[in-house]
Amino acid sequence: MRIVLAEDSTLLREGLARLLADEGHQVVAAVADADQLVTAVEQHRPDVVVTDVRMPPTNTDDGLRVALEIRRRWPDIAVLVLSQYVEKRYAAKLLADRSEGVGYVLKDRVAQVEDFLDALDRVAAGSTALDPEVVRQLISATSHTDPLNRLTPRERDVLHHMAQGHTNAAIAERLHVSQSAVEKHVNAIFDKLDLTHATGYSRRILAILQYLGS
Amino acid sequence: MAERAAHGRRTWLAAVARPTAGVVLGVLTGLAEVLFLLLAGLAVIALSPAPAARRRTGATTVRYARRIADWEQHRLAVSASQPSPPPIQASGPRVLGYLAARLLPATLGLLTAGLLVVGAVLAAIVVRAFVAGTMTAADFLLQGLIGAALLLVNLQAIASVATLDRWLARGLLESHTRAALQQRISELTVSRARVLTAVDAERQRIERDLHDGLQQHLVALGMLLGRARRSRDPDKASALVVQAHEDVQRAIDELRDVAWRVYPSALDHTTLDEVLTMVAQRSATPVKISYDVPVRPARPVETVLYFVACEAITNTTKHARATLITIEIEKRDARIEMRVRDDGTGGADPHGSGLQGLARRVTALDGQFDLHSPPGGPTTIRAVLPCA
Repeated sequence: MRIVLAEDSTLLREGLARLLADEGHQVVAAVADADQLVTAVEQHRPDVVVTDVRMPPTNTDDGLRVALEIRRRWPDIAVLVLSQYVEKRYAAKLLADRSEGVGYVLKDRVAQVEDFLDALDRVAAGSTALDPEVVRQLISATSHTDPLNRLTPRERDVLHHMAQGHTNAAIAERLHVSQSAVEKHVNAIFDKLDLTHATGYSRRILAILQYLGS
Repeated sequence: MAERAAHGRRTWLAAVARPTAGVVLGVLTGLAEVLFLLLAGLAVIALSPAPAARRRTGATTVRYARRIADWEQHRLAVSASQPSPPPIQASGPRVLGYLAARLLPATLGLLTAGLLVVGAVLAAIVVRAFVAGTMTAADFLLQGLIGAALLLVNLQAIASVATLDRWLARGLLESHTRAALQQRISELTVSRARVLTAVDAERQRIERDLHDGLQQHLVALGMLLGRARRSRDPDKASALVVQAHEDVQRAIDELRDVAWRVYPSALDHTTLDEVLTMVAQRSATPVKISYDVPVRPARPVETVLYFVACEAITNTTKHARATLITIEIEKRDARIEMRVRDDGTGGADPHGSGLQGLARRVTALDGQFDLHSPPGGPTTIRAVLPCA
């Protein structure tokens, strides 16, 4: 796939570019600040943008700002945001209108090469990739007040994987159970969380996340 | 009952005797002060052609004047049965002015004490005349009444002189001490707030150091090893591992640098000059250190000097394009002075967060911090710290 990369640390930018090249992807631009990122996306129209959050010009959340702008202006470009810390606000903003083709993972996750590449693939394929840590925080932040307390530990596991953007088949594989068992858990979760069955796959994640982040 | 009467007598006696003794002593010290001021004035006039000697004499005069004024405070406190006040903080001219003003209570004291002596002599003459039988009892009683009235007036006058004496000391010396204390409190309030700001700024810098330096290193390292593991070409995999190994060394160096910037723990077992020598060895710009401090200064002083030197070296290396940094540390009287000079391009910004933080740290220890960095250089940073 064609990728535009934005990361202010030269060391990481080079490393990421080489890693992606190793995997057979094409890094069409690797930039060091938010303004260059917009220009590069405008010029190259890549399949995926991978960007850090903290980068110049202001060294605060410029990367996220541009990621949201890209989502608005070019809805078909997937965006994977790398973040230094888990910021619930960032996750909520990224997923605010739709969860297709968006990812939010911790920067450290890049060192777990397989996880990072997996997240990249999922985002490029139009689904969602959320860092397990993000999900854990979202769940733990709300667990003392809401119906999540009614979930069994198994259902919680399933929700955890689901929120990261895994399919039912992938969840079944990870939890070493049958796919039908996973489907049963998913339905039970929806019942307990008062979510309608009529929503599509990705929207249901969004619904869950918005529910968790509320 | 008898005991209480005796006690009452004692306190009444003390109440009269103490101020009287105080006033009498005040007369003597007043005389000494007039002599002191005359001598000092003559010395200053005689030395007027030699300004340096005149300044020295002036300083000595003020030093002794302070001692005398301190002693006067002590005398006043004892004669009023109060604890002695702290050493005075008033300025030189004020102290000299006070000593000159003491001429008034000393003169009045001489007058009242003299009247007391005259009264005592008259009383003795009356008593002797009565005892010798040359005075009638009625006359004796009359004289006694007149004498007692005059004695009371005299004692009242003595008390007034003592009050005047105290009032002068308070007005000229203590009010200034209070103002100085208030100023000191406001200085401390400001510097305390600044220290907190400096601490926060430093922590932020440490977080940046860890995040922008060490963490990026480790993540990049993880990526390298991940790539090596995924590589199907054994030659490429081993080349990646070699690169990763080199990166580990760099990450270790980085970690040590960050730790050193956090706190110079090496000062636990080595002196400041040795620690700075180690820093100098790692600096990209050559550093020359001269250290002339016979007695090792207190740890907080060493720590601040260390941070000032490190920040200066870092700034110079980053911005000044200098070929040499010289650090001079020497002890002068009760102060340690450090000068860091570089021959770079100058134009350092005193309002930059690093330099501001250093200035705050130095002023927090009652020191002075100045930066002289004209465009085109050279740059000099000077930090002076008190070291008791």
